Amino acid sequence: MAQRSSQISGYLALVALVSVTAWAFYGLSSLAEGRLAGSVFTDPYIHRILGFSLKQAALSASAAVLLAVPVARALYYLPNLLGKRAFLALCLLCFVLPTLILITGLVALLGSAGSLSPYLGKSWNLYGLQGILLAHLFLNLPFAIRSFYLQLQALPASSWILARQLKLSSWQQWAVLEWPQLRARLLTVWVFIFVLCFNSFAVVLSLGGGPQSTTLEVAIYQALKYDFNIPEALSLAWLQLLITGSFYLAMTRFGSSAWLSADTARPEFLPRLRSWQMLYQQLIYYLTWTFFLLPLLALIPSWWQINFEGLTKINLIKPLITTLSLGLIAASLAVLIAVLVLSPIRWARRQQQQQKQWLLEGLANHSLVLPAMVLSVGLYVWSLRHLDLEVWGIFFVILVNTLILVPFAVQQLKPRLFQFDDQYQYLAQQLKLNAWAYWQVVLPWLQRDLQAAFVLCLLLAMGDVAVFSIFATDTWISLPWLIYSYAGSYRIAEASVLACLFLLICAALVVWLEKIKNK
Amino acid sequence: MLVMQNLLLRRGSWQRRYHFQVEPNTILTIQGRSGAGKSALLAAIAGFEPVAEGDIQWQGQSLLRLAIEQRPVSMLFQEHNLFEHLSIAQNLKLGLKFSSATEQQAAINTAADALEISAYLKKMPKELSGGQRQRVALLRTLLRPEPLILLDEPFAELDAYTRELAALWVRQTAKTAHKTVLLVTHQDEDVERLADQNLILD
Repeated sequence: MAQRSSQISGYLALVALVSVTAWAFYGLSSLAEGRLAGSVFTDPYIHRILGFSLKQAALSASAAVLLAVPVARALYYLPNLLGKRAFLALCLLCFVLPTLILITGLVALLGSAGSLSPYLGKSWNLYGLQGILLAHLFLNLPFAIRSFYLQLQALPASSWILARQLKLSSWQQWAVLEWPQLRARLLTVWVFIFVLCFNSFAVVLSLGGGPQSTTLEVAIYQALKYDFNIPEALSLAWLQLLITGSFYLAMTRFGSSAWLSADTARPEFLPRLRSWQMLYQQLIYYLTWTFFLLPLLALIPSWWQINFEGLTKINLIKPLITTLSLGLIAASLAVLIAVLVLSPIRWARRQQQQQKQWLLEGLANHSLVLPAMVLSVGLYVWSLRHLDLEVWGIFFVILVNTLILVPFAVQQLKPRLFQFDDQYQYLAQQLKLNAWAYWQVVLPWLQRDLQAAFVLCLLLAMGDVAVFSIFATDTWISLPWLIYSYAGSYRIAEASVLACLFLLICAALVVWLEKIKNK
Repeated sequence: MLVMQNLLLRRGSWQRRYHFQVEPNTILTIQGRSGAGKSALLAAIAGFEPVAEGDIQWQGQSLLRLAIEQRPVSMLFQEHNLFEHLSIAQNLKLGLKFSSATEQQAAINTAADALEISAYLKKMPKELSGGQRQRVALLRTLLRPEPLILLDEPFAELDAYTRELAALWVRQTAKTAHKTVLLVTHQDEDVERLADQNLILD
C-alpha cells in the first residue's frame, strides 16, 4: 500500500520534471515554427565555437582530475595534516561557491589591475582560455579531490593489512589497491566535470573576453539576447544537448561503481611514508590551500579601496531577501521532488529491473545535461506571449532552478535510501506498513541526508546567475546579479564587498553542511 | 627459534599473557576456546596487534622493532585473503619471490594440482566457494619465502576430503621448505595430522 502510493507520486513527479523540459522546448520550437537553422551545422564560426567548447571542457576536466589525485592521496596518507577538516570544508565551499564571487576574486587577483598581475609579465591576460581554465579548475578541483579522497577512504582496512602482509612495494600498492579503487571513479568524475564546464555560463561570459573564447551556452545566450535568432538558438541548443547527453550516457553506462567492502578504513594500517614522501605530500597539500585561498583573500584588499559613502547607498536587504527566498523555495522543492522520484527508482532496483532503473534515473537527472539557458529561454519566449513576466518571472526562476537542482538532491539521497532498502525493506514489507507509517520509519533514517541535500541545493540555488539573467526585471534583483552589475560596470571594490558578504553566508552554510555530514 | 617472552596483549579489559618457544622447522598447532587469544597472538607476531608487555623474538632478534613489512612472516587470515578485483592467478603472484617467472609458475602449478585448484586459476575470487578461496590463499601463504608461517583456521571452510588433502600438503611443504608454522585450529584431527607440538590456550 505504502509502496504503491509512493510510486504513483514518484511517477507524477517525474512526469512534472519532464513536462517542464518539454514545455521549454515547445516554447522555443513554436517561436521558431519548428525550423532549425541548418546553416548552424555548416557555419565555420559555429564549428570554432563548438571546438572551443569541447576543448575548454576537456582541458578543465582533465586538469581537475589529474591534479586532484595527488592531493587526495596526500589527504589519505597523512591523516593528521594541519587544518585537514577546514581544507575539506573549503573544498566544499569552492565547489558550491557562487561563480560571481570567484570571478570577482580572480579579477581582483589576476585582472588588469590585479594584485598579482604585475608579477606575471606584460603578456598576461586573464581573459580568454587561461581565465576560463583557472576558474573551472578552482570550481571543480575541490569536487574531484573530495570524490577521490572518499574513494580512497573506502579501501577496506583488510586490504591494507593484506598488502602490508604481502610486503607490496609502493608501486604495487598503487597498482593493486589505489589505482583500481580510483579508476572506478575517474571516468565518472571526468565526465561530470566535463558536462559542468561544457554548460558553464557565467565563467565564460565574464572571463571569455571575446568571440574567440565563446562556448555554445554563451552563443545561445547571444543568439537570443542580441540577435533574437530563435532558429539558431534552437539548433545550438539541440547540438549542446546531443553532446552533453552523449557524455552523460557514457558516464552512466561505463562509469562502474567502486568495489567496496563492509569493512571500514582504519588509518593505523596505512603504509608508513618515507620522510621525503611526507614532505612531498605536505607540499602538495599546502600549495592547494594557497590556490583555493588566494582568489578569496583577494576580495579583502579591494575592500580598502571602497567608497564607503557609495556603499551605504546600496540597498542590500532586498537582494539578500530575494536570494535567500529563491534559494529556500527552490531547495525545498528540489529535495521533495528528489524523495518522490527516488521511489520508482528504488522499486525498479529492488525488482532488479536494471534497464528500467537506468531509464528512470536518466529522467530524474536529465536536467544535468540540459543547458540552463535553453530551459530558461524556452520558458521565457513562451511566457512572453502568454504571461506578464513582471508577475510571473520569479515563478519561472524558482521552477527552472528547482529542475536543475533535482539531480544534486537525488545524488545526495540515493545511497542512503538504497541502504535502507538493503537493510530494512523486507522487514518493512513484512510489517505491512501503510504509507504514513512507512514514511515515519524512513524519514528519521533519512533526516541527516535530507538536511545535507537541502543545504547543498540552497547553496547552489543562491549562486544562480544564468536563469536570473533571463527573467530578471528592475523590480527585483538577487545578490549575485547585483555583484554582476557592479563587476560589469568596473566597480570592482563594491563588487568585492558584496562578494565578501555573500562568501560569508555561503561559508556559514558550508560549516552547517559539514556539521550535518559529520554528525 | 621463535620465543614469546612474557608477552602481554591487551584490548580494553581483555588481556592474555603468553610465554613459550617454538623450535625452527616445527609445526605448532594452537587450540583454545573462542576469545582465548589465538588469533590475537598470530596478529601480534605479524605486527597487526599492539604488544602491551614482553617480547617476541625470532632467531634471537626482537620482532617488535620491525615494521610489518620487515617481519619474516607469511600469514593467512580467517577471511579477506584475496583481492576481489584481481584474478586468482594475479592474486597468487603477489608476495612470491622466485628466481625466475618460469620457476614461480612451475611451483604454483604443482601446488595448485596438489590442492586441486588448477581449474580456478583464471577465475575471479567471487566465482569461487569459500573452501576454494581458502585453498588458493593457503597456497600463496606457503609458497612465500618467509620462514615463519601463521595460519589462522586455514581449514575452517573445507570438507573432510579437502581438509585432509590440504593438511597433508601443508605439512609436506612446510617440512620440505624448512618453515616454522603456527596454526590455529578447533579440530583435533588437524592436530593429529600436522602437529609437532600442540598448545592449548585457556
